[in-house]
Amino acid sequence: MPSHRFPPRYPIALALCALTALAALPLRGWLDLANIVMLFLLVVFICAVRLGRGPAVAAAFASVALFDLLFVPPHLSFTVVDAQYLVTFTVMLAVGLITSHLVARVGERTEAMQAREHETRTLYELARDLGAALNVEQAAMIVDRHCRGLGMTATLLIDVRPAGDGGDFACHGASLTDAERGQAGAAYRDDRPTRIDAAGRAMMFLPFSGATRPRGVLVVAADHGQGRGLAPEPLLTAVASLAGIAVERLHYADVARQSELETQAEKLRSSLLSSISHDLRTPLTSLVGLADGLADLRPRLAPEVAETAAIMREQARAMHRMVTNLLDMARLSAGRIALNWQWQPFEEIVGSSVRLLDDLLANHALRVDLPPDLPLVRFDAVLMERVLCNLLENAAKYSDPGSAIDLIGRVDAGGLEISVRNQGRGFPPGRLDKVFELFERGGPEPAVAGAGVGLAVCRAIVAAHGGEIVAENRDGGARVRFTLPMGQPPALTGEPG
Amino acid sequence: MTEAVGAVLVVEDEPGIRRFVCDGLHRAGYRTTEAATAHEGLAAMASAETQLVILDLGLPDMDGLSFIGEVRRWSSLPILILSARSREQDKIAALDAGADDYLTKPFGVGELLARIRVLIRRHVPDGAPIHRFGAIEVDLARRLAMRDGADVHLTQIEFRLLAVLLGNSGKVMTHRHLMREVWGPGHADQEHYVRIYVRRLRQKLEDDATRPRHILTETGVGYRFQP
Repeated sequence: MPSHRFPPRYPIALALCALTALAALPLRGWLDLANIVMLFLLVVFICAVRLGRGPAVAAAFASVALFDLLFVPPHLSFTVVDAQYLVTFTVMLAVGLITSHLVARVGERTEAMQAREHETRTLYELARDLGAALNVEQAAMIVDRHCRGLGMTATLLIDVRPAGDGGDFACHGASLTDAERGQAGAAYRDDRPTRIDAAGRAMMFLPFSGATRPRGVLVVAADHGQGRGLAPEPLLTAVASLAGIAVERLHYADVARQSELETQAEKLRSSLLSSISHDLRTPLTSLVGLADGLADLRPRLAPEVAETAAIMREQARAMHRMVTNLLDMARLSAGRIALNWQWQPFEEIVGSSVRLLDDLLANHALRVDLPPDLPLVRFDAVLMERVLCNLLENAAKYSDPGSAIDLIGRVDAGGLEISVRNQGRGFPPGRLDKVFELFERGGPEPAVAGAGVGLAVCRAIVAAHGGEIVAENRDGGARVRFTLPMGQPPALTGEPG
Repeated sequence: MTEAVGAVLVVEDEPGIRRFVCDGLHRAGYRTTEAATAHEGLAAMASAETQLVILDLGLPDMDGLSFIGEVRRWSSLPILILSARSREQDKIAALDAGADDYLTKPFGVGELLARIRVLIRRHVPDGAPIHRFGAIEVDLARRLAMRDGADVHLTQIEFRLLAVLLGNSGKVMTHRHLMREVWGPGHADQEHYVRIYVRRLRQKLEDDATRPRHILTETGVGYRFQP
């Protein structure tokens, strides 16, 4: 602004008037007084253009005084003989004042326009630079750089909570005192710009939002070194909203990158699982088939060799079940298993489970007790069959041959309850709540093979169906109960049964 | 026991599995052709006389469904699928694409031979209207079912369902297939109908409906009738 570059404006204006008077003095005899008035008016005009409104007004008064003193007879006296010169003075003063006012207004407008253009350019450059920012630190540095151009320092406080409640801010830029942070938090929660002048230093806290939610607070402080105040509030508000847009853009870029990474990881995990699954199951399938083939050989194998072959086949099958459990557990614990929900009678999977475990259950008396009019239940048949198989397999493994195994189904308020009970030694007391944990075994060194995965898989599957599973010792044996929510089965229209 | 009209083509990339499958088939008197990839399998089908295809769904060079589609363009040969448990959707897709039956790994030689016998025999329809299994006798022509000589009342839909199962004896039938055969098209989302009517059939025909011996559940896939 010119006012800062030319501090002694009034003396200059007065000196100009004096110079004009001196230059015109020798011409007093030749020039008409009206033309001398013109010279003074020219000086007032120049003052208005170059020095501003105040000096021009001063020049107008000085011109009138000098004109009266030096040019209007009697000379060197303010006395006016001819009254018509009073009109000259008045007009001269009025023209000087009006001219200086008009010129100054034009100058002020030009200055304001230049200032606005500067602001616009600053905002444009800020927006352009923020568009290229790759992370929040860079964005904060860019905001700070542009604010320094305006004589301020800037700090960005970013709300890092997903809820956007302003509980925790990440600070980027010049560090803030606790009091200033508190002030920023208050401004954020009220969503209202706040200005403080602490210790002679003006600061402003401007909350900003993205399109979806509040994002943080822009804190600007006047820079001591430059001795200038804060930029006007509308400009600061615009800077804050640009920062908000940039922060939101960076946030969603982050989210997109994160989900891209997760998708990649998920793809890798499932392809890993399916290749492990293939690589483990294939040799077991060969083993079962080859051992099974030995029984068919002609001439017949010696009895002990045939028995060995049968054991090999059974062991390979058991191993296969274990691998299946482990892989199911891996899929279930990844939480990405899609259940194949179907309304179906529960006894369907009882029949198929019993058929799958034919050899294993051959030495036990399985008693199935299901009401014949059991309503349809909604579940994933393959997974629920795994639950039943695991429970029946455990019941058979942990009880003596020839003993009974009970499979009982009941409907009550909580839904369908299925329980499997054997007549073995039961679960070790005191560990009932632990048996469903992964790799948890019945005792320190149980005599029966197994990896402690079966019951963990059962719990994961039942939980995925919205049910609960409990282990107990009842009636001289171990009992596992689980529930399935009943829901409202779809209607059946058509012929009566 | 066997009809020596052609060889059984075994398309399986795992040598161990291929070995025991072929050994079992040889012992039962079948001739075999072996292929380690789908392309070899298709080439073998074109050159040799084949009476049945055993296809592993997890071949490295071609999707099993594409293989089935390729074969079905010019042949109605029986196709038996080998597949892992927990891939039920794959099995259903393969059956819908034209495969005739499947075996879940691991399987024994006995199961394999039983399936093959059913698939080969199916090409020679016996046409007999009277079926007997357990204590049950069903006369398809006269729409009668008897248990130990006493009439069993079956509704129209129950009888139709039973007839479809008997007509495809030994072969797995998907829920959707049964739905279409018994109820007609347009009921694809009402598979629970099939399950409810199968339950009724079991309660009327099986000794123990919770442990059926003839109308068997193929979990996640469908049903199989076994005489």
